[in-house]
Amino acid sequence: MNESLFELNGFTFRYGSTPVLDDITLTISRGEKVALLGPSGAGKSTLLTVLYEQQSALSALQPQGGGLVDLLSVYHNIFMGGLDRVSTIAALWNLVRPLRTGVAEISQIVQTLGLDDKLWHSVDRLSGGQRQRVALGRALYRHQPVFLGDEPVSSIDPVQAQSLLAYVLQQHETAVISLHNRQLALEHFDRVLVLRDGRLCCDSPVKALSCDQLDELYTQTESPLDHNAPVTKNDGWVIRTS
Amino acid sequence: MPIIRFWCVLLLWVPLLVRADAFVFTAIPDQDESHLQQRFGKVADYLAKELGVEVQYIPVKSYAAAITAFRNNQVQLAWFGGLSGVQARRLVPGSEALAQGYEDQFFKSYFIAHKSAALQPSAALPSELKGMTFTFGSKGSTSGRLMPEFYLREHFKAAPEAVFSRVGFSGDHSRTIAQVQAGAYQVGAVNYSVWDSELAAGKIDLSKVQVIWTTPTYPDYQWTVRGDVDQHFGNGFKSKVREALLNMKDPDLLASFPRQSFVPASNADYAPIEATAKAIGLLDE
Amino acid sequence: MKFQPSSARRLNTVCLAMMAAALLALFFVDFQVYPVDPWQELARIGWGLLTPGWADLPSLLNALLQTVAFALLAITVAAPLGLLLALVFDWRPVRLLCASVRSVHELFWGLIFMQLYGISPLTGLLAIMVPFTGVFAKVFAEIFHQQSQQPAQTIASSVGLVKRFSYTLIPQSWPALLSYTRYRFECALRSSAILGFIGLPTLGFHLETAFKQGQYSEAGALLWAFLLLIASIRFWLRRWLIVPYIVAAIWMLPDTVGFQGGGSLWQFVSRDIWPSVLLDGDWEGFRNWLVMMFDSQIWPGLWQTLLLTQVAVVLTGLLVLVAYPMATQVLAGSIMRWPGRFVLLVLRCTPEMVLAYVLLLLLGPSGLPVVFALALHNGGLIAFLVANASDVEYRNRVRRPDDPTGVAFYAYVETPRRFPAMLAFLFYRWEVILRESAIMGILGVATLGFYIDSAFEEIRYERAFLLIIVTAVLNMLVDGVSRRLRSKI
Repeated sequence: MNESLFELNGFTFRYGSTPVLDDITLTISRGEKVALLGPSGAGKSTLLTVLYEQQSALSALQPQGGGLVDLLSVYHNIFMGGLDRVSTIAALWNLVRPLRTGVAEISQIVQTLGLDDKLWHSVDRLSGGQRQRVALGRALYRHQPVFLGDEPVSSIDPVQAQSLLAYVLQQHETAVISLHNRQLALEHFDRVLVLRDGRLCCDSPVKALSCDQLDELYTQTESPLDHNAPVTKNDGWVIRTS
Repeated sequence: MPIIRFWCVLLLWVPLLVRADAFVFTAIPDQDESHLQQRFGKVADYLAKELGVEVQYIPVKSYAAAITAFRNNQVQLAWFGGLSGVQARRLVPGSEALAQGYEDQFFKSYFIAHKSAALQPSAALPSELKGMTFTFGSKGSTSGRLMPEFYLREHFKAAPEAVFSRVGFSGDHSRTIAQVQAGAYQVGAVNYSVWDSELAAGKIDLSKVQVIWTTPTYPDYQWTVRGDVDQHFGNGFKSKVREALLNMKDPDLLASFPRQSFVPASNADYAPIEATAKAIGLLDE
Repeated sequence: MKFQPSSARRLNTVCLAMMAAALLALFFVDFQVYPVDPWQELARIGWGLLTPGWADLPSLLNALLQTVAFALLAITVAAPLGLLLALVFDWRPVRLLCASVRSVHELFWGLIFMQLYGISPLTGLLAIMVPFTGVFAKVFAEIFHQQSQQPAQTIASSVGLVKRFSYTLIPQSWPALLSYTRYRFECALRSSAILGFIGLPTLGFHLETAFKQGQYSEAGALLWAFLLLIASIRFWLRRWLIVPYIVAAIWMLPDTVGFQGGGSLWQFVSRDIWPSVLLDGDWEGFRNWLVMMFDSQIWPGLWQTLLLTQVAVVLTGLLVLVAYPMATQVLAGSIMRWPGRFVLLVLRCTPEMVLAYVLLLLLGPSGLPVVFALALHNGGLIAFLVANASDVEYRNRVRRPDDPTGVAFYAYVETPRRFPAMLAFLFYRWEVILRESAIMGILGVATLGFYIDSAFEEIRYERAFLLIIVTAVLNMLVDGVSRRLRSKI
């Protein structure tokens, strides 16, 4: 059970001269449910991408923003998660006329996600929370043992967020999920990592932590250093069509 | 699937490309290109009547396209300029100049100048041309390029680019006249017959542009036929074509060229043109 | 992944470098202005445009329909082919192939395919199709490049190329692909019209004649007809009409007269495009030939081409910055943008040859009319595309109530938003300008294109072939540079 899945040893990752991840040493084993906390710009997304690259064959990644394809329907966006299980011809035909098996499986998923009436809507017509649930649906349809989520439930209303998070954790043997909600982290996970300016400043079992302690870690970091945080890619200069 | 349907239709349609044997001709459009189809359609009708085969005309708008069509046997007969005829006959061994216009035996080019150039008509090519701006007609034209360039080289012992401050190619005799008349180029070389007809049509303002020098005469336009027409259309076809051309007396038909009549011609008549083209590097040895 | 401290700074550096290079080029490029006396001729042109006349209406209509038929069929084949090539565009041989087919002007493709298919509809179709496939491949690949990588990350990494593309990049970029194809159709109409010059029965066939002969009323009629055709595309090009149109277009295509098949392809490939000294195995002679070509054509042509295109590209960019706001809803208003749009329509519909001729009359022969003609035509085109993109976004965008207005909006919001796309268009136009300079021989400016044209006129395919290779390599280099520059943006 203690077979290690992810291993980083003094890992550093830079954009230009700015380190985004700085000297990270970390081991995550099979079966662990890890919450990844830290202020915006601390390097959580980069860390998740690095982890994904280590085990891409076993992992379902849900990046921030979800990676949805606007033009396609909820059904097709979720179906994409299972593309490796169908032939090329079937996949192409499915774009023209949805496959019966796919519809059956995905109808169940959307029911869990509370999107049953939206199956044939294209995703650009959905709200932020709905889009996030579609992204979650795709990750679930990947049928992978490992789930890597970058704030996967941040736009979903609190009650639903809680139950969906529980569902995702139950469906995956291992999970590493970045969150902002400390309460969720303490309730659903068994290990917490806190990143601050690219450094791992806390790696502890949940049992040893309290909400107040976590708050402290946060408040320390949100102060003056924030100005130096690397700019995210989301500024107007970049041509983006997601 | 529109694409698949398109390919199906295309494939069905390609064999139709091969049409019944018709005798096809084209003409270098060097003067009044408008309504080519109507004007040369009449010539086609005349030839059909004389030759007893179906005759068709294809309009072509560039020298290179006409030569290419002649080369790959899409046209068997063509009304070429002096230079394009030589080029075509070099590419199609066995092809033959059949007839030329009466005027083509002693064709000439005019050098024309805008008044700002302050050049006066003279018997010899004026040396004051040096350093002015100059435009030829089309790059492949005999009267608008080849012969003027030859005389320029002979006089200045240098390439036109070295003689003039700028050398343009207007692409067409009418354009040459218009550009020199507007002063865009100071001097230009033009087919004399185009100049004469534009002058007669009142399109030229002599207070702005005038002829300053006339080249010596040279052979120009001619009808050239492919060598293998006898094989395709029966023995003696070539001489029938020659007869038909020489017997073209209808002024309406002749106006398409425009020539007063056609006279016999041979490849040898164009040896000077070929030599000139080689001398100025337009043809390889 | 490289970290970029400021996108704007990188972009500014790129722009400043481009402008500096253009300023430097100004020192070398020949911009002499000659005294001219153009008013009589210009008045005739102006009068012709104001009094368009065409005696034979059916022939005009036929030419219009033929123009559409060729363009439509060419796009029907070229766009899907380009899409397929775009999928493998990272593969260098594909990029090289596409760059070389793009560097040859449609007119020259026409002459090359005439070796094979004679003067026939197939020649005309291929002459548009082949270079357009290269353009589609490149631009589609670029559109794919701009898409988010995220969707691809969320599917299994083992998923094959076709499945991956058909679920991620193609649907992600579908609107962009469609709108580019639609725009390209307009370009195909222009190319199709131009191909009239080698004998296809399209608009260019009559336009060239009318223009050469100084029949400006007829030229005016043709230009207006073409303008209307382009301006009304969105009214007659409907999705559900495309299939009937294609069938009609195939039916419309003219008959081939006289061509019996058996073109001289083999002769062309095995002999025509190689210098005779090389075929004779005379290496010394071949070396001399290369040296001669390099000294007399390649080097001077390359130099002129680089100077002129550099200046033209920067001038085009400036023109776009000035012109595009006048055609946008957000800056000019929904009514006042129409005059602006009309001017841009006129600029992009008028063949460069006509623009160059008018400018030649005004300025005399030099690099100046070349640069202006290219900048006006391409500036009109890019400004139109930029304004369109702005209008599309205007409809979908959530506006902030505290957005600035007027000039501040132009400078702080709209232009920064439009700028990267505009630069991408500009870099692409670089190679278009390279290609178009081929028909600028009337201006007495000896660019590479000028020499290619001369080689075709002189039936010296071996020279044309060498010059085309040089142009293709130049194209690749510029393409590479602009890829790198854009990756920094």
